[in-house]
Amino acid sequence: MNTPHAWRYLSVQIFLVLLATAVIGQIIRIQSSEEAKAILDNTSQYSGEYRSYFPARGRIYDRSGYLLAGNRTAYEVGIDIRTVHEAGNANNIALAASMYLGLDYADALDEIQNPDSGLLYLVLASAVDSDIAENLMNLQELAASQPSSESLTGLHFQPTLQRSYPENDLAANILGFVTGDHRGYFGIEEKYNSVLSGVPVLVWIPSDPNRVNEWPEIPAGSDLILTIDREIQAMTEEILDDAMDTYGAESGTIVVMNPQTGEILAMATTLRMDPDNLDSYEDLFPEQTPYNWAISHPYEPGSVMKIYIMAAALDAGVVLPSTTFNDTGSITIGGATFRNWNGGAWGIQDMTGCLQHSLNVCLAWVATQLGVDNMYSYLQDFGFGHQTGVDLAWESPGRLKLPGDEDWHISDLATNSFGQGVTVTPLQMVMAASAIANEGQMVYPHMVYAVVQNGQQRNTETQIVGNPISARTAQTLSEMLVYSLENETSLALVPGYRLAGKTGTAQIPTEYGIYDPNVTNTSFIGWGPVDDPQFMVYVWIEEPSASIWGSEVAAPVFQQVVERLVVLMHIPPDYIRLQAANRGP
Amino acid sequence: MNNVTQLISKYRQAPWRHQRQWIGLFLLVIVLVAMVAGIYLNVTAGASVAGREIQILKDDIIENQRFNHDLETHLAELTSIKSMHTQAEDLGFEPIRPEDITYVIVEGYIPPPPIDLSTNAALPAAPLIKTEYTQSLFDWAAQAFILSTARSGEQP
Repeated sequence: MNTPHAWRYLSVQIFLVLLATAVIGQIIRIQSSEEAKAILDNTSQYSGEYRSYFPARGRIYDRSGYLLAGNRTAYEVGIDIRTVHEAGNANNIALAASMYLGLDYADALDEIQNPDSGLLYLVLASAVDSDIAENLMNLQELAASQPSSESLTGLHFQPTLQRSYPENDLAANILGFVTGDHRGYFGIEEKYNSVLSGVPVLVWIPSDPNRVNEWPEIPAGSDLILTIDREIQAMTEEILDDAMDTYGAESGTIVVMNPQTGEILAMATTLRMDPDNLDSYEDLFPEQTPYNWAISHPYEPGSVMKIYIMAAALDAGVVLPSTTFNDTGSITIGGATFRNWNGGAWGIQDMTGCLQHSLNVCLAWVATQLGVDNMYSYLQDFGFGHQTGVDLAWESPGRLKLPGDEDWHISDLATNSFGQGVTVTPLQMVMAASAIANEGQMVYPHMVYAVVQNGQQRNTETQIVGNPISARTAQTLSEMLVYSLENETSLALVPGYRLAGKTGTAQIPTEYGIYDPNVTNTSFIGWGPVDDPQFMVYVWIEEPSASIWGSEVAAPVFQQVVERLVVLMHIPPDYIRLQAANRGP
Repeated sequence: MNNVTQLISKYRQAPWRHQRQWIGLFLLVIVLVAMVAGIYLNVTAGASVAGREIQILKDDIIENQRFNHDLETHLAELTSIKSMHTQAEDLGFEPIRPEDITYVIVEGYIPPPPIDLSTNAALPAAPLIKTEYTQSLFDWAAQAFILSTARSGEQP
């Protein structure tokens, strides 16, 4: 640098170094300024988005694989508030929303024009039917090609899956329903909500395609296969609806169960809503009316209860089928006098005769022979006063007053023996009777046949929940019930099939606590074929006006159900079935 | 010694030679950096395109799943019990009564098996993103080395 112009080079170098330093300094200043931080914060919202993932809700099938509850596309319709305000088309959107979404024009316009402060996105309607949403989308597309004053810019459509019930109100009392927030209510939908819905998550989805591996895998909910047979369910619902008209009844319930496995094949009630139409809920079920009367509405069953008292007495050895009782027409227990259903005296009867003629006096006497401790111990073993544990939401335990309870009196020994003063659900009656039909083994009633998760099917095993009576007692009582049915309640018989069964008629207590003799609950429980029971049917018809007797109302309904049930279940008449069995495999 | 003295002398007389060396070296570094940057840009752009395609495919999967649900539900509506009964009645069928049935004992008849909706979907899924897109250069070299070692040990 010993040249004459070295200082010039040096000056240029110093200038360039200073310039570079200034540029770098400015870069650092800009990067670390408050404005840069604000810009970074503002732009971060565009680096991705939070999305709520509701996995596809698991489907529900009947035992043959027919879809009972599936999913369909519905849309959430909303607006980007900033875009709408910039486009100045709030009027157009409010008008479209009123025409297509059924919103009030003035309310919609007010919401769009005066949103809550800080709100960027406004939901106008959720669970919009796909046909309606598609019409609105087409309108938006058409408007986009028109002058800007007619535009629907800023209107957004977010597709989601909503519950759908292709069978409409079939088995609605069993299935329950799902609301727009993806939560199940009543029945299977509520009981298995967490299994069906999977795990909804709120996740950050980065827009950066290099971070695509951060997208979470959301597993779908599990599918359920029910024990219900849709043919049998439809048949029982049809017969029940007809019975309501025929007998002028208030309500009714029919439960069909396999007494050997506890699989519930049908559970029909008269109060059924279309679960796709949630608006009808409040009209159909006002003031917390039970959604499924078969499990949620306990009532006094009447004489059907006698089979459990007789089972207990036979099992305890206090009576034999041949034990006789002289029915004088009344019996006094605890200061209260009880009479038979017709007020008559039936003279000397054996235990089968007591069941056949449904004698209150005789069964009250049997209860005294059994004793307080024994009787309530057996009734508890049969499951009365406790939930059955069926896999449906909102099951009631009923009420079995026990010695020691404040409202229990010694006279309850008699009233309970013929099914008054005790409340039960139809499903409790069926579960308890399964012990009689199934050689003493009481099965757990259940609705879910299998759970299908990740392509793997896990079947529900049969569970024995107790052995309240011995196999011998069960066989003896079954034979007594076959005999009494064949000789008394002919309206329940089905030619070709040997059935066991018992009627029930219970007076209903009024609001003053007095029983009204003209208003009854009529019931019937029966099962067959007795040597290899494949079905157990419980019928409860509430407050029939055509007749007050179970033998004239519930028994014929039972007969109608069984007549069609044996066809649907492919059960041939006994002589053919035994003929086939004798040939061997 | 004379040669060295001459060389130093020449450089003193022509310093631009020394400067040209430095400039050449600087340009070489620039070219290398540009090459690395170019390759990096190319790979990154490729990964971004692939990532975007994956995003689109994921959206397609979600849409297809939704469409499948729609179709399944629609099919169930068409084959619902009310619909089937109506169709059967329109075709002249009527519910059978027990007395109309003739039962025939068929030797060796096997009743239909219980329903089974299990599938093979539980098989472990293949990794969504190939390892080439996720492993480092060192991982790739180590894997290649292990594979080549393993192959050399195989029987011909």
